[in-house]
Amino acid sequence: MRHPATRSIVAISIAIILLFLAPFFLNILQTRMLIEIAYFSLFAVSYNFLFGYAGLLSFGHAAFFGLGAYTTAILMKTIGGMPLLLAMASGGIVAALGGVIIGFFCVRRKGAYFALLTLAFNQFLWAMAWKWRALTGGDDGIGDIVPDQPIHLGIVKLDLYELEPMYYLVMVIVLVFLGAGWYLTKSPFGNSVMAIKGNDERAAFLGYNVTRSKLFMFTFSSFYAGIAGSLFALFQDFVATSSIDLSMSTQVIFMAFLGGTGSYLGPILGSAIFVYFTDWISGLTDRWEFILGVLFIILVLFFREGFIGLIPAKLRSIFATGEAT
Amino acid sequence: MAILEVRDLYKDFSGLEVLFGVNLIVEPGERHAVIGPNGAGKSTVFNLITGKYKPSKGKILFKNQDITGFPPHKIARMGLTRSFQVTNIFRNMTVFENVRNAVLSKNMLRYNVLSYLSRMKGITRETEAILAQIDLLERKSELAGELAHGHQRALEIGLTMAMAPELILLDEPTAGMSAEETRSTVQLIDQITKGKTLVIVEHDMDVVFTIADRITVLYYGQILASGPPEEIRDDQKVKDAYLGEEEND
Amino acid sequence: MESTLSILFIQAIHGLVYGMLLFLVASGLTLVFGMMDVLNIAHAGFYMLGAYVGAAMLLSTGNFLLSLIVAPISMALVGAVVERYFLRRVHIHGHAFELLITFGVFYIIGETVKWIWGNFPRPVDVPGILSGAIPMFGTAYPVYRLFILFISFLVLVLMLYVFMKTRIGINIRAAVSDPYMVNALGINVPRLFLGVFSGGAALAGLAGVVASPVLSTYPGMGLDMMVDTFVVIVIGGFGSLFGAFVASLMIGELQCFGVHFIPRLALVFQFLLMAAVLIIMPTGLFGEKE
Repeated sequence: MRHPATRSIVAISIAIILLFLAPFFLNILQTRMLIEIAYFSLFAVSYNFLFGYAGLLSFGHAAFFGLGAYTTAILMKTIGGMPLLLAMASGGIVAALGGVIIGFFCVRRKGAYFALLTLAFNQFLWAMAWKWRALTGGDDGIGDIVPDQPIHLGIVKLDLYELEPMYYLVMVIVLVFLGAGWYLTKSPFGNSVMAIKGNDERAAFLGYNVTRSKLFMFTFSSFYAGIAGSLFALFQDFVATSSIDLSMSTQVIFMAFLGGTGSYLGPILGSAIFVYFTDWISGLTDRWEFILGVLFIILVLFFREGFIGLIPAKLRSIFATGEAT
Repeated sequence: MAILEVRDLYKDFSGLEVLFGVNLIVEPGERHAVIGPNGAGKSTVFNLITGKYKPSKGKILFKNQDITGFPPHKIARMGLTRSFQVTNIFRNMTVFENVRNAVLSKNMLRYNVLSYLSRMKGITRETEAILAQIDLLERKSELAGELAHGHQRALEIGLTMAMAPELILLDEPTAGMSAEETRSTVQLIDQITKGKTLVIVEHDMDVVFTIADRITVLYYGQILASGPPEEIRDDQKVKDAYLGEEEND
Repeated sequence: MESTLSILFIQAIHGLVYGMLLFLVASGLTLVFGMMDVLNIAHAGFYMLGAYVGAAMLLSTGNFLLSLIVAPISMALVGAVVERYFLRRVHIHGHAFELLITFGVFYIIGETVKWIWGNFPRPVDVPGILSGAIPMFGTAYPVYRLFILFISFLVLVLMLYVFMKTRIGINIRAAVSDPYMVNALGINVPRLFLGVFSGGAALAGLAGVVASPVLSTYPGMGLDMMVDTFVVIVIGGFGSLFGAFVASLMIGELQCFGVHFIPRLALVFQFLLMAAVLIIMPTGLFGEKE
C-alpha cells in the first residue's frame, strides 16, 4: 500500500509549500481571499465531522462559529492587554462548551428532530446576540479586535495590521487543526463514529455508547467551528450578528455540500469555490444570496456528491484521505 | 451459579401483552434452545435480555448481576452478545471493517484518538483470525451489503462472537438457509461456542435437537416446558401445542 | 380602568387567537410528517409568502376578501410545485436530502420576499369593515382578532368534516397511520400526499394573510413561525393532528400570558418553552412518531 500513500504525501506537501509561497506571487485581494478560504475551510470541515462522518444534519452550526467569533471579540475588546492567542483559544473553548450543552439536547434525537433543534438553538443564540447590546453590541457589532501592538510568539513578532503576518498566522493555525482533524478521522474513535452512522443499533449491541460518541463528535466539531469563528473575528476585525445567523449556517452547509461531504477534503474544496464564487457574484448583483439559494437547490437535486464527485477517480485517489461515507 | 437467570418476566407493548411471567435458567457452558411458534415471544425475550426493551415486570440476572433495564451497550460490554434474526450488519462497510468494529470495541478502543487505525497490526490480526473462523477471510474487502445471504448470516454470527462474549444469543441463525448452508452454520456454531454458553432461538427442529442440551418451549408468552431434549420430545403438552403442528406442516 | 379580570380575559382570547393561527400552520406540517416522514422546513415559508402576497393584493386592490382567497390558492400552487418537482425528486435519496431541499426552498422563499418587498417590516392595515372594537369583559376587544377566531374555527370545522366524513379524509387518516398498507389498498398515495402537501400550504398561506394585520409582515416571520410550529409538533407529537391542536392552544396561551407579564422575555419566550419541553417531556404528548 505504499504507492498511494506516498503520492498523497507528495501532493499535500506540494500544496502546503505553495500555500506558504502564495503571498509572494499573489496580490493583496487574492491573499485576502486565501485567508477567508482558510478559516471557512476549517468551518466547513467542522460541519462535515457532523454530517459526513457522524451522519448528523445540523442547520444551526453558525451557533458555534458565532460563539467563537464573539468570545474572541469581546475578550480582546474588554480586557486590555489580552493575549490574542488566549482570546482565540477561549473562543474555541466557549464554542465547545456550547457544543456540550446544545449537543446534550440534540444528539439524542434523530433526523428532522435533531436538525430543527439545532436550528432552534442557533436562533436562540442569534436572538441573544441581537438583544444583549451591552455584551455584543447588538446589530452594531463589535469592532477593532486586532491588537494594536504586534504579538509575540516566542522569537517571532507579528504585526497583524500587515497582511503577511496575518496570512501566516491564520494559515498555520488552520493547517495544524485540519491535520489534527484528519488524524482523528483515521483513529479508532473516527471509526466508532462512522460505524454508528452506518448502523447505530448494531453498534450499540457491539458495546458502543451511541449517545456519548455522538456528543463527543458534536463537541469536537463545535470546538473547530469556534476556532474558525475566532480566526474570522481576527481577520474581519469586526463581529456582528451576521456571524451567528441563519445565513451563516446556510453558507457552511452549502460549502460542505458544494465540495462534497463524502471525503475529508471535499468541504475544503467547497469553501474555496464558495469564497471565490461569492466574491465574484456579489460584485455583479445585490441578489447574490438569492442566487446562492437557487444553486443550493440545484446542488441537492443534481450534484449531491459535490465537486469532488466530478473529479475523475484516478485524480481523486491522490487526495484519498478517507471516505467519510 | 447460573450464568443467566430470567425471573418472572412480563412485557406489554402499549397494552399488547406479549410475555406472561417467563422464567429461564441457563447454566454456564450449556447449549440452550428456545423454541415455540411464531409470535410466541422468543425474540422479545432476547430483546429484553439484551437491553433493547425494558421489561414491564421481572428481573434479569447475568452472572448473578441484575442487568434489568441496562442499555444494550452496557450489556454487550459485560460479555453478553446477540445476533439478529433479520441480518443487522454494517452494510456500507467491508466485511473486514464490520468485524473490526467489534474487535475494536472488545479491546476498549472506542474512544482512542491517538492511534492510526489502519496501522494497528494487533487489531488487524485479531480481525482476520475471526474472519478465518467464519470463512470470510477471502471476502474481507467486499462490501457487506453486497454479500450473498448465507455469507451475511455468517458475518452476523461473526460480529456476535468477535466481542469474545461469555454468553451468546443467536436469533434464528439458519433462517432462510439451504440444507447445505444450515449444516455448515451448525458446524460454525459448534466451533465458536466451545467453552461458552449459548442460547439459540430456532425453528429448524433438526438443528435444535443436534445442538441443544436443554430446550425451553415458549408458547404465546409463557413457558410450556423446559428440560433435556428427550424429555421435551416426549412431553405431551409440547407435542399437542407445538411439535405436532410442526410435523403436520 | 381595566380590571385584572378584564386583562386576564383579553390575554386569554389573544392566546386563543394566536393558538388557532399556530394550529392552522402546524396542522399541515404535522400531517405531512405523519404521512411521509418528511419535516417540511419550507412550510413556514408558505405562511410568510402567503402573508406577503395577501398584503400585496390588499394594497393594490383594496379588496380584503380577494386577498383572503388569492393567498391560500397561490400557496397551494406553490406547494404543489415544491412537492412535485423538488421534494419528490430527492425522496429516494433519503431523509437528509429531503430536509436539505425543503431547507433550500425555505431559504429561497426568504430571499424572494426580501428581494420583492425589502428587508424591513411592512405593517398591514386592518381592513376597514373589521376595524374597531367590541365591548367585552369590562373593556373593548378588537373586532379583527375575533374575525381571526371566526375564520380559524370555520377552517377547523371544515377540517373535522373532511377528516371524519369524506372518503379523502379517511384515506388521509389511514395513510398517516399506515402508509404502506394504504398503498397496498390501491389508493394513489403520491397523489394523496400531493393533495395534503398543497392543502397544508394553503392553510399556512391563509394563516399568514389573516394574521398579517396583527403580526405584521417582516423578513424574519418565517423563521419565527418555524420555531413555534416546531415546538408545537414536538409537544403535540410528530404526526398527531389532535396533539398539534392541543399544543398550539397551549403555546398560544403560554406565549401571550408570558409575554404580557414579563415583556423582557418576549423574543426568547418560544425558546424557553422549547427548553422546558426538552427537559420535562421530550417525547411529546400524543402519537409519538420519531
